[in-house]
Amino acid sequence: MAATPIPLEVRNITKRFGDTEVLKGLSLQAHKGDVITLIGASGSGKSTFLRCMNLLEQPNEGDLIVHGEEIRFKTTKHGREPADWRQVVNMRAKLSMVFQSFNLWAHMTLLENIIEAPIHVLKKPKAEAVEHAHALLERVGLSHRANAYPAQMSGGQQQRGAIARALAMDPEVMLFDEPTSALDPELVGDVLKVMRDLADEGRTMVVVTHEMSFARDVSSQVIYLHEGRVEEAGRPTEVLENPQSPRLKQFLAPNY
Amino acid sequence: MIDLHGYGPRLLEGAGVTLSLALLSLLVAILLGLLTATAKMSRSWVAHRTATLYTTIIRGVPDLVLMMLLFFGGQIGVNIFTDWLYYQFDIDIFININEFVAGVVTIGLIFGAYMGETFRGAFMAVEHGQIEAGKAYGMSNALVFRRIRFPQMMRHALPGLSNNWMVLLKTTALVSVIGLSDMVRIAAEASKATREPFTFMITVALIYLLIASASEWFFARLQKRYDIGYGEAD
Repeated sequence: MAATPIPLEVRNITKRFGDTEVLKGLSLQAHKGDVITLIGASGSGKSTFLRCMNLLEQPNEGDLIVHGEEIRFKTTKHGREPADWRQVVNMRAKLSMVFQSFNLWAHMTLLENIIEAPIHVLKKPKAEAVEHAHALLERVGLSHRANAYPAQMSGGQQQRGAIARALAMDPEVMLFDEPTSALDPELVGDVLKVMRDLADEGRTMVVVTHEMSFARDVSSQVIYLHEGRVEEAGRPTEVLENPQSPRLKQFLAPNY
Repeated sequence: MIDLHGYGPRLLEGAGVTLSLALLSLLVAILLGLLTATAKMSRSWVAHRTATLYTTIIRGVPDLVLMMLLFFGGQIGVNIFTDWLYYQFDIDIFININEFVAGVVTIGLIFGAYMGETFRGAFMAVEHGQIEAGKAYGMSNALVFRRIRFPQMMRHALPGLSNNWMVLLKTTALVSVIGLSDMVRIAAEASKATREPFTFMITVALIYLLIASASEWFFARLQKRYDIGYGEAD
C-alpha cells in the first residue's frame, strides 16, 4: 500500500534574529486531520515557528516537507534562502494562512478577496471561483457581506472572511496565527465556532492560540513552547489537564 | 474674441506638441520612477547607489542646464561616435538628435527622479500584512506587485504624482530653447511678428490652465478609484 504523503512536516527548525536564537530546533508532523495547537507565553516563538512553516520567515536551519516534497535551500551572502522560489510559491498555495490582523486586501471586496488567489494562483475559471466563494461565504455566515470592503466589516466578520479566503484554496493544511487575539471578546465565539467546524470535518490545521478551551476541546496534539523549545507536547488531556513541567503549570494556572 | 492674426492653427499645433511631449515624458518619468523606487528599496548595494546618484544629480542641476547639456552635449557625443565609426569601419552615417525625442528623454529623466521619491514613499506606506497575505497565498513577487502593491501604492502616490505632472507640464515650455515648436515658441514668434505679446501669451496661459484643470479633474477621479475600500462606512 502506497503511503499518502504527510501534509506537513518540519524538522529541527532553528531561527535567529541577530544574536538571539528564538527557535532552538523545533519539529512537528501534521498528519491528515490533525489539529495541532501551539501554545506558550508571548515571546516563546510560537508565531515565528508557524511563519517558518510557509517561509514568511526564513529558518536558519531545518527541513520543511510539504505533501512529500522537500523544500530545497541554498546559502547566499544574505543567509539561507530557498533555492527555488517557484517551489516555495507552489508550496504556499497548499498551505493557507489566517493572520492575527486578518490582512484581507483592503482594496478588494470580500468576494474579490476570496476569488483572488484561486483565479490568479490556482488558475481556476472565474465562474467556478465565484460559485465556490459564495458557498464558503454561506458557510461562514457572511453571504450578505459579499460586496463589502474589509474596512466596512467588524473584526469578527473580517476574520471569518479571511477563513473563507483560506478555504477557497482547498489547502492541504491551514495555518492559524492567533486568529482571535485581535478580536473583541464577544466576537471570538463566532470565529472559534467556524474553526471547530473545520476541525470536525477533518481539516488539517496548525493553530497558534491563547484559547485554552479550543486547544482542549479540538486539538489532537498540543505543543507548549517555552523560549524556542518544546517544553511539553502530547494529547490535550495529558498536556493541559496533567501538566508535568512547573512552567506549563504556571502558564495554565488561572489568573487572579 | 481674441484676434490671433491667423496664428490660431499653428498655436493649436503647438499645443498638440506640448501635450504629446508632456504625456510621453510622463510615461517615461513613471517608468523611471518605478524603477528608481524599486532600486532604492532593493537590498542590492549597486542598485541602491546608482539610484541615489541619479536622483542626486537630477535634483541638484537646473532643468534648463540639463536640457541643453543633453541636447547639445548629446549631439556632440553622437557625432564623436559616428566619426569613430567612419574612421574605424568606414561606416558613414549621420545621426541627428531629434528635438522632440531629446525633450521627452530630458523631461522624463528629470521627473523620473521626482517620481522615484513619490513612489518610494507610497510603496513604504503599504501595510506589510497586505503583502504578506499575498505571499502566503502563493503569489509570486510579480503577482503581488501587480495585484496588491501597485494598486495600494497608487492611493498614496497620486497626490504627489499629480503635483509632479503639473510641474512637468509647465517644464515642457523649456523645450523651446532647443528649437522645438511647442506652443510657447510659436506664441513668442507670433508676438514678435504682430507686436501683440499680450494676446498670444494670455492665449497660451489659458491653454495651459485648461490642460491643468482637465488634469485635476482626471486625477480626482483616479484618486476616488484608488481610495475604494479605505475608511468608508456603509
